[in-house]
Amino acid sequence: MVVAGRQKSIAFFIALGAGLISVILLLYIGWVLLKWHAGIMIFFGVLLTLLVIAGVVLNTIFLVREIRRNAQHDAFINAVTHELKTPVASIRLYLETLLARAVDENKRQEFYKMMLADSERLITTIDQVLRTGRLGASRRKPDLAPIDLAVLLEECIARIRTLHDLPPDALSYQRSSDIAIQGDSEEVRAAVSNLLDNAVKYSSGNVKVTVETARVKGKYIALRVKDQGSGIPQSELKRIFKRFYRVPGPLATRLKGTGLGLYIVRSVAKRHGGRAWAESAGPGQGSTFTLQFPVSK
Amino acid sequence: MNRVLVVEDERHLAEGLRFNLEAEGYAVEVVDSGEEALERLSPGSNSFDVLILDVMLPGKDGFAVMSELRQSAMFIPTLMLTARGHPGDVLQGFEAGADDYLTKPFELAILIARIRGLLRRRKWLQAPAARGKDVFTFGEKKNKSVNFDSLELSAGDQVFRLTLMEANLLRYLIEHEGQPVSRKTMLQKVWSVQEDTDTRPIDNFIVRLRRYLEDDPTHPRHLLTVRGVGYRFVAVPSA
Repeated sequence: MVVAGRQKSIAFFIALGAGLISVILLLYIGWVLLKWHAGIMIFFGVLLTLLVIAGVVLNTIFLVREIRRNAQHDAFINAVTHELKTPVASIRLYLETLLARAVDENKRQEFYKMMLADSERLITTIDQVLRTGRLGASRRKPDLAPIDLAVLLEECIARIRTLHDLPPDALSYQRSSDIAIQGDSEEVRAAVSNLLDNAVKYSSGNVKVTVETARVKGKYIALRVKDQGSGIPQSELKRIFKRFYRVPGPLATRLKGTGLGLYIVRSVAKRHGGRAWAESAGPGQGSTFTLQFPVSK
Repeated sequence: MNRVLVVEDERHLAEGLRFNLEAEGYAVEVVDSGEEALERLSPGSNSFDVLILDVMLPGKDGFAVMSELRQSAMFIPTLMLTARGHPGDVLQGFEAGADDYLTKPFELAILIARIRGLLRRRKWLQAPAARGKDVFTFGEKKNKSVNFDSLELSAGDQVFRLTLMEANLLRYLIEHEGQPVSRKTMLQKVWSVQEDTDTRPIDNFIVRLRRYLEDDPTHPRHLLTVRGVGYRFVAVPSA
């Protein structure tokens, strides 16, 4: 309902802009036809008209952008509401069930596991929202210290395996040596976890994720997370790193998320003097995410 | 045994619901998309007594599923169960045709009580003996009537099936016959929505009711607009 309303207002502002430009052009042509002999006036008239047109165009672009941003913000609020309320609803349901009903031991263990997974999901959402707030607002420099990326990666991989209940070969990492980076371990851990979590989430059951690390030109350490999942259309490869952005389509509804994960990845990379990017041959072709950090001196 | 169809794409919640509803003695089936729900509820497939419908579903969302069901005259009692608790969302759910709406997180006991409530109403509707007790007759020739037990509105020789919310709204207006009732009061008393919210969905409900009970819906004589306030029900319009 809200989105349809916004589409209407976008159309309204575009129509308004186009209408105003047409009126200006009409007035201008009329004026030129009447006062063709006043050369200097025509020159200033043209200049003024161009200025007005530029103003109207800018105004339209600004309004359309603002409306789109609001729509994204609304989608984000909906997503966060869902991501916070759903696991709470599930935990509460299981707690009430355990309190009110006779549950056999096997089921009981199953319920505990589901509650743990739900609380983990809740913590991830809360962490992402708080981290986005911190990354966006603070001018605080990252707390830099040498990090052995191989150790940090293995810890993150172990966590993701447990979280998604994966066999060891679903998420593999060929450890390489001498890949220490200079970074804030908490931030780097969050960025790496987001990439791994996405790779598993967007693999739609066929989880075959490989992680590689390598030195690049002696100055950087690159971490590559490669999956064989749903892939990304070429046009979306840059946008996916924007805050709140989620690739539109059925996948975005099926796989719930806040649209903050990759924004955090890119922000952390930037804060460390590195960068992050995505490659994919297209939908259904899997994707590769690279996170590059400066090497520890 | 009553059969419940749960449409929920969150696996943990769906399993928790299944466990509890089975413990309450219902036969439960779970599907995880709107399309699948529509298929399971299509004519000819197994019938269900109650539908529990999530809103944020992959593909068709819960509101769309609800509207499609009602448009194809599927009046299965439906409880929408969703994280979207904004008054606008609640109203959208009722407008789509939901009979009840519960926001997540919910209390298990309340959920079960509401399902029982929906089943009770279905039972009343199916028991012919119970019909005809709660009937209000109106119109100049006393030729129009609304049966709040069977949720049927008869106008002349036409019979319309009302949703629970349409019936509740009409009942409230009838109870306050002749008095103007504000949109805000309707929101509070009929929908139990307290916050300030968009009241346009009410106007849509009124438009639908007028279509059922007015001879000429463009010149209403029973459901009158009170400018700047809301609406007023008149049982026997003056000539």
